[in-house]
Amino acid sequence: MVAWPDAVIQLLSGLTAASTLFIVASGLTLVFGAMRVINMAHGSFYMYAAFILATVAGGAAGGARFWVGLGAAVVVVAVLGGLVEVGVLRRTYDKEHLTQLLATFALVYIFADLALQVWGGTYRSVSVPPGLDGQAEVLGRAFPVYNFFLIGLGIAVGAGLWFILQRTTLGWQVRALVEDPELLAAAGVNVRRVGTIAFIIGALLAAVAGAARAPGITIAPGMDTEILVDAFIVAVIGGLGSVTGAALGAIIIGLFQAVGVLLAAEWSSAFTYLAMILVLIVRPSGLLGIPER
Amino acid sequence: MGGPKRAYSRREVLRLGLAGTGLVAAGGWLAACQPAPGAPAPTTGGGPSFEGSVTVGISTTLSGSIASLGQSGLQGVQLAIADLNAKGGVLKKEVKLVYADDAAKPDQGATNVRNMILNDQVVALFGPVSSAVAAAETGIAAQYRKPIFFHTSNDLVLTTKQFHKYAFQVVPNTYMEPRAIAEYLSRQPFRKFYTISPDYNYGRDSVDVFLNAMKDFGANIEVLGQQWPKLGTTDFSTYISAALAAKPDFVVMFIYGGDLLTFTKQAKGYGFFEQVKSGGPWDLTLLPALKGEAPAGHVAWSRGPFFAIDTPEVKDFVSRYRAKYNEWPTEWSLLAYTAVQVWAWGVQKAGSFDGDPVADALAGATVPTIRGSITIRKCDHQAEIPEYIGTIAASPHPEYGFPILENVFVAHPERILLSCDEAQKLQPR
Repeated sequence: MVAWPDAVIQLLSGLTAASTLFIVASGLTLVFGAMRVINMAHGSFYMYAAFILATVAGGAAGGARFWVGLGAAVVVVAVLGGLVEVGVLRRTYDKEHLTQLLATFALVYIFADLALQVWGGTYRSVSVPPGLDGQAEVLGRAFPVYNFFLIGLGIAVGAGLWFILQRTTLGWQVRALVEDPELLAAAGVNVRRVGTIAFIIGALLAAVAGAARAPGITIAPGMDTEILVDAFIVAVIGGLGSVTGAALGAIIIGLFQAVGVLLAAEWSSAFTYLAMILVLIVRPSGLLGIPER
Repeated sequence: MGGPKRAYSRREVLRLGLAGTGLVAAGGWLAACQPAPGAPAPTTGGGPSFEGSVTVGISTTLSGSIASLGQSGLQGVQLAIADLNAKGGVLKKEVKLVYADDAAKPDQGATNVRNMILNDQVVALFGPVSSAVAAAETGIAAQYRKPIFFHTSNDLVLTTKQFHKYAFQVVPNTYMEPRAIAEYLSRQPFRKFYTISPDYNYGRDSVDVFLNAMKDFGANIEVLGQQWPKLGTTDFSTYISAALAAKPDFVVMFIYGGDLLTFTKQAKGYGFFEQVKSGGPWDLTLLPALKGEAPAGHVAWSRGPFFAIDTPEVKDFVSRYRAKYNEWPTEWSLLAYTAVQVWAWGVQKAGSFDGDPVADALAGATVPTIRGSITIRKCDHQAEIPEYIGTIAASPHPEYGFPILENVFVAHPERILLSCDEAQKLQPR
């Protein structure tokens, strides 16, 4: 039987996984909520952030340059996000949905190929920044300090997003964009600008997740699609368009995995999908998704 | 009007999204799949004169978490071919190489190999990293009667259930490697085991064989738990804490490449390597990447570490590889190099590049290579080569700059090979 301190550590491990998933999925769901676009290239933003961080803070020098690298990653990817919205997506809003999807789908390949040219195919790694690289003691068990940082970051991002969406002008504009873009335009708001900003925030969230998760993972081509699949599942469980839903979805997946690995390891890789299927049977629009009208 | 259009229902969008995500997940990388980007072997200026040329191909993993193994193997093949050409080629023909990335996806590997056979007219193929890809390729090689040499992926099925006359395995297979590990560990005091292995053929088979072999070698062990993370797992937190919660005294890991690198880094924060002993394929792509972070004293195995194979030819190979690529060779480059040597020897012996005579010449032959003579069994075309197991040194090797394996135990092929009788029972009639 599992001792309870082990169970607590296991749940904390699940929350660590959930935190990254939430940050990535929140960007995906925000962009969908505001613009009804599923950005397949969202995982590319995540991967680029990790690669940029590895370029700045990888190798022997590592460590101390971590925060510089994180800043650089977030800024570069946010700019990239802006360019993608203005240069590509904006031209597709009046097109069929399939066209929009194909456009972002094409971007996945273009970004992947570019990354292969720039960074090569082999893996890189980044060290955990000094100060966050130790072990904390939880109920007599060791737990990585960095995992607490990741969990905290997830909470901070969630709180920040809630504040922006609920308490700022930009927030209500983004929400209004979902409800009625024509009315928003008639009210004198630059609708295009709001869309661009929402997209940039989405890219930025992918970048924060990619850069924050980079230490302690293998940074390599392919990490873009791996995270996209997981993040998409989280967003669908939560209800596409709902940031709170993404948080719920991430916690469900994280904890499902934590419990699954512990109690039914043989089936653990099926658990994520099982969770999605169960939720969609009960609520076809996801937990907090608004059913179609 | 640039505002978002809302003509599409949520359900449709969801369906599109699911389909798209599925495509991305399952489809090969368009980006990485230019069919066999022509990469002719270095042309020999002013060297020996050739009477025409032949082409060989390698489709392997050059992007993603196991790409370092593929890249390293490719470099071994390239060096071997350069060496062949420097000595006048094979049957006086210059050997050219085409290669392609399979991104660790079976369908991509199959496409690459078919392209190489049909478009590049390759006369022989060298294998991929993942055994899942190998399984997809071997049938195509059989169909077109092209010899295929597996030197990194090592699934036993390639010499048993999927065996055919054109398939050769010059790497310790998934029966030999886990048995070798069992032979080594059965002599150690560990009895409470935990396994972490990737969720596909190689991972499942390796654990199976390992546990059975422990019994064969007389070790009465208890298995406290087993984990099957998928290839390319990025967050091992839950696996690490679950393994520790079971309180084993030894964790056997068959996760490899970037996955094992990720695991090693994440496990550190949990004090994993202080709480349990573990063993895993910390190979010559990982030890240089981890350097001081490599878990000293833990058990590592290798299918061909150059520092443990003491022949003048291997020493020469190491220094020339180092000079050419500015890095130390890995077991993958060494194995790939010998695979090319085996093929070239078969062609010389047969006096032909055709699949049938080459395969006939190699079956049961003893072939001279840089690591000494190796025998290819007639019954299943498995090379009789050992597996190497040791503990990770506490400090970097003065010459190589990374920790190597100490107290290396060499598991001899005769103790770890599947018997010919058993192999043939599993082969298709």
